[in-house]
Amino acid sequence: MSARLEIGGLRVAYGQAEGVAVDRLVVEPGTLAGVIGANGAGKSTLINAVANWSRAEPRISGSVRLDGEELTGLSADQHVRRGVQLVPEGRGVFMGLSVEENLKAVARPSGGHGGRSYAVEDVYALFPRLRERRTNLAGSLSGGERQMLAVGRALRMAPKLLLLDEPSIGLAPRLVSTLLATIRELVEGGLTVLLVEQNVHAAAEVTDVLHLLERGRVVATGTVAEMRNDPRIVEAYLGASHG
Amino acid sequence: MNVAQQLVNGVIIGHAYALVAVGWTLLLGAARLVNFGHGQMYMIGAFVAWWVMAATGLPYPVAVVAAVLLGAVLGAVMQRLFLRLTLSQDLVSLMIVTLGFGQALEGAAGLAFGPKPQTLASPFQEMSVHLGPVWFTVQDAILVSATILVFAGLYLALHRSWLGAAVRMVAEDPRLTTLGGLRVSRIYMGIFAFEGAAVAFAAALVAPRTPILTSMGFDQVVMTFVVVVLGGIGSVLGSYVAGLGIGLFTALFGALVSPAYTTAAVFALLIAAMVLRPGALSASGSFAR
Repeated sequence: MSARLEIGGLRVAYGQAEGVAVDRLVVEPGTLAGVIGANGAGKSTLINAVANWSRAEPRISGSVRLDGEELTGLSADQHVRRGVQLVPEGRGVFMGLSVEENLKAVARPSGGHGGRSYAVEDVYALFPRLRERRTNLAGSLSGGERQMLAVGRALRMAPKLLLLDEPSIGLAPRLVSTLLATIRELVEGGLTVLLVEQNVHAAAEVTDVLHLLERGRVVATGTVAEMRNDPRIVEAYLGASHG
Repeated sequence: MNVAQQLVNGVIIGHAYALVAVGWTLLLGAARLVNFGHGQMYMIGAFVAWWVMAATGLPYPVAVVAAVLLGAVLGAVMQRLFLRLTLSQDLVSLMIVTLGFGQALEGAAGLAFGPKPQTLASPFQEMSVHLGPVWFTVQDAILVSATILVFAGLYLALHRSWLGAAVRMVAEDPRLTTLGGLRVSRIYMGIFAFEGAAVAFAAALVAPRTPILTSMGFDQVVMTFVVVVLGGIGSVLGSYVAGLGIGLFTALFGALVSPAYTTAAVFALLIAAMVLRPGALSASGSFAR
């Protein structure tokens, strides 16, 4: 059986600078994989390249496979229709649309590509706060509510692989744990997630496998338990008290 | 001066301005794009309607439908031609190529339809309604009602329908729209087709009021520009109000001062508004109003 996501020889460059060079990164079905690293390590560049989405115009080469099927060369919207769903960093929702419109105005999978398809009601069941604010504009939501909406909107498209770029950014610690716990529940329910996080503590709580990215390269990979014993990780990211 | 009659004229001209501008309003509001070939597309709409009636003898309503269909095709073709520029939102280049596209349309129309002024003969232009001190034609009444219907329909479609939400998504963030699994280029194509269809519809309804010439496009694009900018760029209701206001202004200015300086006066109004309330004129970023 092939992996849910298999990245091979991926190179992403902006202008002259090579942003990311990942030789191999695999995510197994039904697992939550985390990519951690410092600011500027290329985490966003990597996860955006998997979805072939960017606000700039990067040059991407190499191979990205979903269940063995090559995705390289497909446009961002084609990725979505095949079940690869990115929630970008910061702004993942439309401020000028209401909460409900944000959930409704998506391309629903017609044939179904294998992921669980969420009705608007299912999203409200997952995030009851969104039901209370269904008629409000997304622009009036708090940061946490916006992040819930972005995840809910992504689930509407029945992803097989959910790519989350820094969902914790700008959120209070308690909200971060709640949100990541919900993501963990989704993974227990069968969803596959690749999570990019600068908040290593929070990521280590919920992920199965961690990949450490430094200057665009994967320098360490292992289960959370293994990574907790890796001196590089402990020193740089987890601190002595968590070692 | 018959003030009541001038007000009626102003309302009619105002609705004509608004209807001619509605396509550009959506184009600018949703796609952040401009089309300086807009006036020539108006001219083509009028001439196609005229040609259908003159060459085939089909009745006026059929000519209106034909003009609208051709307008939609013309809009979609434009989007295809300028696809790269529309996707990269290269406004300066787009201004120049659409100006050129308009000139090409004007040249082609000159070859196809000749240099003589023509009359788009609507049967409703001959029927008039007299109400006390004022009168207007049935064509005018159709124009005003159609304008209200188009604006109300567009407003509802934008705010109540799935398609309208998609258009507002593209207006806010085209890149993010792709992550909803939507093809942005198709939404743009729909917006351009609407722009072409709307301006052709406006032409088929407005043109029977005056003789038509293949060189009349430029005046239309100038007036449309003023309506769209005064309306608050991209605002649907704003364009309606601006069109109506400019219509009343030109009618009263023409009657009280001089018809010869009307266009100049409208531009003076535009400049005054830009100086006094610059904030109100900037792109609103949404269709909230």
